[in-house]
Amino acid sequence: MFFQGETGRNTRGLLRLIILCTIAAAAVASRLFSVIRFESIIHEFDPWFNFRATKYLVQHGFYPFWDWFDDRTWHPLGRVTGGTLYPGLMVTSGAIYHLLRFLTFPVDIRNICVLLAPAFSGLTAFATYLLTSEMSDSPSAGLLAACFMGITPGYISRSVAGSYDNEAIAIFLLVYTFYLWIKAVKVGSIMWGALTALFYGYMVSAWGGYVFITNLIPLHAFVLICMGRFSPRLYVSYTTWYALGTLASMQIPFVGFLPIRSSDHMAALGIFGLIQLVAFAEYIRGQLPSKQFQVLLRAMVLVVFAVAFGGLVLLTVSGTIAPWSGRFYSLWDTGYAKIHIPIIASVSEHQPTAWPAFFFDLNMLIWLFPAGVYMCFRTLKDEHVFIVIYAVLASYFAGVMVRLMLTLTPIVCVAAAMALSQILDTFLVADTPTSTTPSDTPHANGSTTSNGSTSTTTTASALKDKLTSALPSTLRSTKSPLVGIHSYLSKSLTAGALTAYLLLFVLHCTWVTSNAYSSPSVVLASRLPDGSQHIIDDYREAYQWLRQNTATNAKVMSWWDYGYQIGGMADRPTLVDNNTWNNTHIATVGKAMSSREEVSWPIMRQHEVDYVLVVFGGLLGYSGDDINKFLWMVRIAEGIWPDEVKERDYFTPRGEYRIDDEATPTMRNSLMYKMSYYNYASLFPAGQATDRVRGSRLPSQGPELTTVEEAFTSENWIIRIYKVKGEDNLGRGLGEAVGFGRGNKRKSSGRGKGKGRGARTLRVD
Amino acid sequence: MRLLQYVTAALLPFTALAAKKSSGDRFETYHSKQLSNGGPVKVDDKAYNDLTKTPRDYSVAVLLTALEARFGCNLCNEFQPDWELLAKQWTKGDKQGEGRLVFATLDFLDGKSTFQSLMLQTAPVLLLFPPTTGPNAKPDNVPHRFDFSSGTNTAEPIHAWLTRQLPSIPHPTFVRPINYVRIAVITTAVIGFITLVTVAAPYILPVIQNRNLWAAISLIAVLLFTSGHMFNHIRKVPYVGGDGKGQISYFAGGFQNQFGLETQIVAAMYGILSFATISLALKVPRMTEPRNQQIAVFVWCGVILGMYSFLLSVFRIKNGGYPFWLPPF
Repeated sequence: MFFQGETGRNTRGLLRLIILCTIAAAAVASRLFSVIRFESIIHEFDPWFNFRATKYLVQHGFYPFWDWFDDRTWHPLGRVTGGTLYPGLMVTSGAIYHLLRFLTFPVDIRNICVLLAPAFSGLTAFATYLLTSEMSDSPSAGLLAACFMGITPGYISRSVAGSYDNEAIAIFLLVYTFYLWIKAVKVGSIMWGALTALFYGYMVSAWGGYVFITNLIPLHAFVLICMGRFSPRLYVSYTTWYALGTLASMQIPFVGFLPIRSSDHMAALGIFGLIQLVAFAEYIRGQLPSKQFQVLLRAMVLVVFAVAFGGLVLLTVSGTIAPWSGRFYSLWDTGYAKIHIPIIASVSEHQPTAWPAFFFDLNMLIWLFPAGVYMCFRTLKDEHVFIVIYAVLASYFAGVMVRLMLTLTPIVCVAAAMALSQILDTFLVADTPTSTTPSDTPHANGSTTSNGSTSTTTTASALKDKLTSALPSTLRSTKSPLVGIHSYLSKSLTAGALTAYLLLFVLHCTWVTSNAYSSPSVVLASRLPDGSQHIIDDYREAYQWLRQNTATNAKVMSWWDYGYQIGGMADRPTLVDNNTWNNTHIATVGKAMSSREEVSWPIMRQHEVDYVLVVFGGLLGYSGDDINKFLWMVRIAEGIWPDEVKERDYFTPRGEYRIDDEATPTMRNSLMYKMSYYNYASLFPAGQATDRVRGSRLPSQGPELTTVEEAFTSENWIIRIYKVKGEDNLGRGLGEAVGFGRGNKRKSSGRGKGKGRGARTLRVD
Repeated sequence: MRLLQYVTAALLPFTALAAKKSSGDRFETYHSKQLSNGGPVKVDDKAYNDLTKTPRDYSVAVLLTALEARFGCNLCNEFQPDWELLAKQWTKGDKQGEGRLVFATLDFLDGKSTFQSLMLQTAPVLLLFPPTTGPNAKPDNVPHRFDFSSGTNTAEPIHAWLTRQLPSIPHPTFVRPINYVRIAVITTAVIGFITLVTVAAPYILPVIQNRNLWAAISLIAVLLFTSGHMFNHIRKVPYVGGDGKGQISYFAGGFQNQFGLETQIVAAMYGILSFATISLALKVPRMTEPRNQQIAVFVWCGVILGMYSFLLSVFRIKNGGYPFWLPPF
C-alpha cells in the first residue's frame, strides 16, 4: 500500500541500504569486545606471524616481500617465507595502509591488522545478502541472511578484532565468489565468469581453503550435467572460470603448478574436459538428428570419460600427479591423520565436532537449516542445486573438522534465511484469502515438470510415464495450491513466536561472542573474589624479558605452538613454529623435550639452542600448558625415532598419564617434566606441592637440572625460560660438574654419557 | 670389560644345562619344523622354555596370544592370519636359515604358566629374543616387546619392526598374496551391477529422478552430520553411558563428549523442528479450511516451542553456564 509504484521502489531500495549498513555496523560492533575489554592487540598464534609478515611488507615493499627468505625461524634451516605463504591477507592490509597514508590518515599498521577482520565481516554480510537474493525471490530472505551472517558465532569465532588470520578475508571472498558463480550460471555471460575467476584468484592468494571452491564449482557443474541440465550458459561460465581462474591461481608462488599437478585440483580439470565433450556432443546432436548417431555419441562420451579417468588414475599411480595432500586426504579417510601425520591430528581445531559445538555456533539456525535445504527442492533451479550440494558437503566437512565450521556457516545462514523468510512472507501478509475458493496461484510450483527429461530413447516409455505419474516430480508438500492464512490469531501467534526466537538468537550470539570468542589468549583474564577483573599477562611479560635480556640472535627452543609468538613479540630466532612444514625438525624438538637430559643436551647444542621456553599452568590451573601437550611431542618424536622414544613409557603400567609419585621414570626424567616442575615445590610447605591442572600432589623430591639453568619465570609461572649451559670448562660431563659442585664423590663408571649406543639413524619405512 | 666378565660368569651354569642339546641343534629342529608346517611353530610351555633357553645363537619371535573365543580377544584373531603369513614368507625367503630366526606361537591355553611368569595381563604380545651368542649377539637376555597398543593388526609394521631390531640378517620381503577370489567377486559384482542397471533402467530412472527421494537423502545426511555423527564415527564413542548409580545416562557430561544415542536424540529434535518449520511454511498456507488451519498453526507452533525449549534444556546439561531458556522446560 505504501510502497507501490516508482517512489515505492526507491523507498524500498533506500530502506534496504539503510538496513544493510546497520547490519554491517552491528557485525563490526559485535566483534569489538576484546578491543574494549583488553586493548588493540593481535590474538593467538598464527595472527602473530601474519602481523610480522605484514610489517615486513610495509617496511620493505612488495618485491622483497615476495622473495623473503626468513633466517630467523626454523633455525638452522630457515624458511622461504615469500614462497610458502598465502600473501592475500598481508597485501590487503598493506594496500589499505598505503591508501590511508595517501589520504593522510596517520594510522598504525597494527590497528589496521587488528580491525581488518571486523571490517571484512561487514562486507561478508553484504555478500551473503547478494548470494541469498539470487536464491530466493522473497524480499526479506537476503536481509535475514545478511543479518544472520553478521552475528552468528560460527563466523565470529574467526573474525573478532585482533584475529588477524587468513580466514578474516577468506570467508568474504568465499561467499562473494559463490555469488559471482551463481550469477554467471544464471546469466551465462563471460563477464560474470571472468569476475568469478578474478575473485577466485584473490581467494587462492588468501587462504588454503580455496580448494573447497576448486572442488565445489566443478561438482555443481557435474551434477547439473548429470541432471541433463547442460546449457550454453553453464558452458560459458564454467570454461571462463576454469581457464582464467587456473591462470590466476598459478600466479601465487605457493600454489605454482599445483592446479595442474595435484589431485586436489583434478576434479576441476576433469570436468573441464567433460564439459567440452558434452558441448561437442550437444552441438553434433543439433546438426544430425539421427537416432543411432545419438546413441553412438553418447557411448563415445562415456568411453572418452572412462579413458580419461583411467589415464588420470594411471598418472597418479605413476607419480606424475601429486597425490592428495595430507590435510585434504584426512577429510575423507578419517583415521589417516592419526596414523600417518600426528602433527595434523595434534591440532585441536582438526578434531571432529561434537554436536554441542554446532548448536553453540549456530543456535536456532541449525534446525532452520534443513528446512531451508528442503525448500530448495521446491523449485529446483540451477542455483538451488548448488545450495543443496554445498549444504551436504559442508555439513560433512564441519562434522569431521572443527575449523571447517567456518565454511558451513555461510550456507547455514543462507538456507535458514530462506526458510524463515518463507514463513514470515506467509504469515505477515495482512490480507486474508477472500473465501474458501482456492486461489489458483501455484507460484511455488512453477517450472518443475519440464526440467531435464530429455526424451530418452528407451523402449519402455509408456511404463515410464506410468511410474512418473505415480511418483510426483514436485515435492509432496507443495502439491495443492497455495491459499494463505485465514485468521489473524494464527498470524500474530507465529509472528510473535518467531520474533521471540530471533531475539533469543541475538542474545545467544552476543553471549557466546562475549564469553567464548573474545579472549586474545595472549592475555588471560580471570575474576577476583570481589568480581573485579584480573589480567594475567605472563606471555607478554616473558616475551618482553626475552627481547630485553637476551642477545638478538639467541635461539629459543619451544614447542611449535609458541614459535610465531616468539618471533612476533620477542623477535628471537626459533627452531620450530606454527608453520609445520618440516616434521622431522619438529620431531627433533619433541625428542629433546621428551628425553633424558643426557640425550637432550647434545641435540640442543647441535642446534645452537640458547634458551628453552616451556609453558606451565600448574600453579594457576591453566590447562593449555606443555605437560598436557606433552604426549603429542612424544608421539611426533616416536614417529621418527620409534626405538628411542616410546609413548608407552610415559604411561604407568595401568595406562595412566601421571605426574605424581607414581609417574614412570621416563616421565620423571624427561626434560619437559623437569623444566616444568623445577623448584616448584619451593612455593609450597614441604610435601604440599600440588599441580592445579592435573589435580595431583607432586613428589616430595623435586627434579634437578644439570644441563640447563633457570633464567626466568613469569609472575604466575606460566612461562619458564631456561638457559642451556655450555661445555664444562674442565671437560667434564655436565652431570659430573654439578655433582662436584654439590660435593658428591666422582663415580668411576662413565654411565650416562650418551655414548656407545650406536649411531642414531632415521627410521626408513 | 668387567661387565662382560660378569656376564660370561653368569652364563656358565647355563652352558652346563644346554650341554644336553646344543643351541645349533635346537635351531635346526625348530627351523625344519617351521619349514615343514609352513608357518610359525606352535609351542607350549615346555617347548617355549626350550626354545628361549640361553645360550642360543639364533633369535626367536614369539607371539603370545589368546585365540579361543571365550577370551574375546579380537585383535588376536584378526592378527593371527597375518602373523602366519609373515612367518611363512620369511621362512620361505630364508630357507637355509641364514638369518637364524624362529617364529613361534604360544596360545594361552598351552602356555598358562608362561603367561603367569611373564606377568602378562593382555594379549597379543610379541616378544623377540635376540641371540646371546654368535655374531649378532646381544649381551643382556632381555626380549624386545612389540607394542600392540596402537591397534596394529597387519603384518607390515611387524615386518618393519623385525627389520629394525635385527638389522644384520637377511630380510625376506613381505608381499601380500593376490586375492584372486576377491578380484573375481568384484569383477562379477561390477558386471552384474552394470547389467542390472541396464535392464532395470526404465524402472529405476523415475525413482532416481524423483525429487522427494533426493530431498530425503540430503536432509538425512545434513541431520546426521550436524548432530555429530562423524564424531561418533571417528572417536568410537559408546552408545549410552551409566551415571554411576546403575541408571542409564543419555547425555554425556561436558562440551566435548557425547554418546551415540545422544546424537540420535539431537538429530531427531532437529528433524522435528525442521519438519514443523516446513509444515508452517509450506503446508499450512495450503489448507483451505480455516478451522483446520487454525488448529494446525497452534499445533506446529506448540511443537516448535516445546522442542526448542527441550533442546535448550539439553544444551544446558552440556554447558553448565548457559543462561538462556524457554518455557516449559
